[in-house]
Amino acid sequence: MALQRFTNSVDGTIPIQALIYNDEELFTSQDGVGIYDGSQKSPEHQSGTVHVTNQRLFYIDASKSARKSFSLSLAHVSKTEHYSGLFTSSAKVTLYLESQSQSQSQSEEGGWECEVCAYRNPPGKSLSAARICGLCGVPRSLSSVPTPTLTPKQNNSSSTSIDNPLFPISSASSALPVSSIACPACTFLNHPSMRTCEMCSTELPRLATRPATPSAGPGPRMDNNEDNSNSMIKLSFRKGGDKPFYVALKRCLKGRAWDSVPGSMSPSSAADGVRLAGILHTVESTAQSQTTHMSSALQDLDALMVKARDMVALAADLNQRLTSSTSASASASSPALISSSTAESEPEEATFIRSSLSQLGLQMENAPVTLDMMKDERRWVEELAKELAGILQSQSQSQRGLMSTRPILSLDEVWGGWNRARGVALLPPSTLLQVLPHLPAYTDPPIHMRTLSSGLMVLHTPEYGREAFAERVKGLLTGTGRGKGGGVMSTTEIARYLQGMTIGLVLEMMSVVEGDGEVCRDDARSVIDERREGEAELGGMVVLGEVKWAVNVFRGWVWDGEA
Amino acid sequence: MALSTHTTTTGFLLPSIHSQAAFFTQQVHPGSLLTQTDAWITLILKYARHRRLFTIRVEDCEAPGNEWHEVLRNERINRKLLPSYLSYILNRMVSDKVAAYEPPKQDRSVLIYWRLPEEWAEILHEWVTSTGNLNTIMTFYEITDPPIETQLSGLPLPLLRQAIVILSKTNRAQIIAIAEGEGVRFFQSTGKT
Repeated sequence: MALQRFTNSVDGTIPIQALIYNDEELFTSQDGVGIYDGSQKSPEHQSGTVHVTNQRLFYIDASKSARKSFSLSLAHVSKTEHYSGLFTSSAKVTLYLESQSQSQSQSEEGGWECEVCAYRNPPGKSLSAARICGLCGVPRSLSSVPTPTLTPKQNNSSSTSIDNPLFPISSASSALPVSSIACPACTFLNHPSMRTCEMCSTELPRLATRPATPSAGPGPRMDNNEDNSNSMIKLSFRKGGDKPFYVALKRCLKGRAWDSVPGSMSPSSAADGVRLAGILHTVESTAQSQTTHMSSALQDLDALMVKARDMVALAADLNQRLTSSTSASASASSPALISSSTAESEPEEATFIRSSLSQLGLQMENAPVTLDMMKDERRWVEELAKELAGILQSQSQSQRGLMSTRPILSLDEVWGGWNRARGVALLPPSTLLQVLPHLPAYTDPPIHMRTLSSGLMVLHTPEYGREAFAERVKGLLTGTGRGKGGGVMSTTEIARYLQGMTIGLVLEMMSVVEGDGEVCRDDARSVIDERREGEAELGGMVVLGEVKWAVNVFRGWVWDGEA
Repeated sequence: MALSTHTTTTGFLLPSIHSQAAFFTQQVHPGSLLTQTDAWITLILKYARHRRLFTIRVEDCEAPGNEWHEVLRNERINRKLLPSYLSYILNRMVSDKVAAYEPPKQDRSVLIYWRLPEEWAEILHEWVTSTGNLNTIMTFYEITDPPIETQLSGLPLPLLRQAIVILSKTNRAQIIAIAEGEGVRFFQSTGKT
């Protein structure tokens, strides 16, 4: 019968998605379908679901899916007919079957090894895909072997025979001397189920007694002498849905997916011209699809940004309504002296909404900062100031404070160090600026902030304040033991004496001191002979072309030259 | 280095601040700059009078070996005045009316008024009176290069001309065009000025 000849039984308890091959695609499904084997109803298959993929047709029985389900390769279908039904007769689709390409249908369920790249192709490919190596795209040759598997029976026989554990196969061959095949190249006696030598992979001569292998002997399994009515099956659509099903089926048949090679390979190159070019093409198309996905994702982002504008507008609207309602309620409640609880509860809610908005970064400019918000924020800022003070002045041995060794720090270092210490919930620079005015209250000695002439902001201990620093520099410049320098020091030298300060920072500080008229400068460009200048600085660091500093010699100076 | 005055080879007493390296760099602080520039102007005027120099050019601080060498450079502390700062000083001198750009309409060189043109005018008139040249026509050359050296010897012509103009305003002098160029006739002071 046609049903037996052309179909393979499948386990219908497995979901259909798991039954189909990797490169197979499910097109349509229809339940409430009965099967006619030839012109007769097939009693076993009267109520089930039919699935059509681009390769096969599945029938999954509704009641006894484990036993009665089957699959039918669409390659057998030569012709289809559609009957739309009349009165009690339901709509039917007739499939005429032909036993062509039997050899291909018989191909092994297991994997095989490509003879070009030695890639072991796994099972689970559709018939057409299994003809081509998944790695290099070379068509499978007839001689390529299925991945050899030893039967447990063989192992048993070897264990019972005289033990030569190193050569179990040879002992197996001795146990079965008749059916062993001697390799023509290395004379190794192979098990009769082997097609190539297990040692040297040379092709073995076939035994005459062995039935022809499917790949070696293509041809119909059965004689094709039955009449036409027997090589057809009918699908009876008891619950309708026949028309879309038939359209999908026709499309699958027209596509002839079982003939073409899978993937993006063109039909012309399907036979042999794929190879490396095919791989490259696949890589290219993958990259292209990724680009497409990326651009569509970016479009989504754009759409989101447009929506964000709407949200801001909404927030503004909400805020304005709140303002008007609170002012209205305030004016209403104050003269009438309504219960004070309601009058107070409303601003609280309003404050909550406003603070939520501001936390989202949607705070409006016209939103008044209420006392509640102020209280919260002030407490928050004060807590932050305490934390920052701890980081700056920590006395513990394990973790020295940032300013315990360096009494002056620029704000970027402070910000970076603070966030590094926090690790999570990083703070924006604006918050740092908010916190800084509170810092002196929590630090001992108090740490203040000052802005230098270039706009650089630094945190410093009291001894680096404006006057205190000027005094220190003056002391340094007039200090004894400076030798030939004579109270003149370059910026680099000063930076060396004041520990923990960068040269740039010293330069900034010095320009402030100079602006106060405490020091005067000596430009290196007014040097007559640079070599002599270098000699004058022997023992010290010589940095030519650098501004040097001296105590202000002009202050209080009177003419003492020629009368 | 100790702050001390220094006497140059030409016998000029340099002020102590001339030994300060910072004196040769234009200061940034306004107060310091004012003091510094005032000191420089005084120094230039005094040195010009000492050496009877009438002009100073911005270039004078660059090339060694000219008559301003002793002032604009200090080899002992290895410092020299920068042209940019000298230019600034000259500008200050002109605006303080102790110098004038000469030739006019440029700012690289000035005529130094270590005596003001009015003072020169008085000196000129006294000299003419004492030598009995009143009412006679004199050439400029006779005034600036007399046989016996006077205070007016080597006086630059622009300065001389200014002095004569000042005198002519009080009717004590008159410029007369003569064959070789210009001449001047001095008159007796009327006493009223």
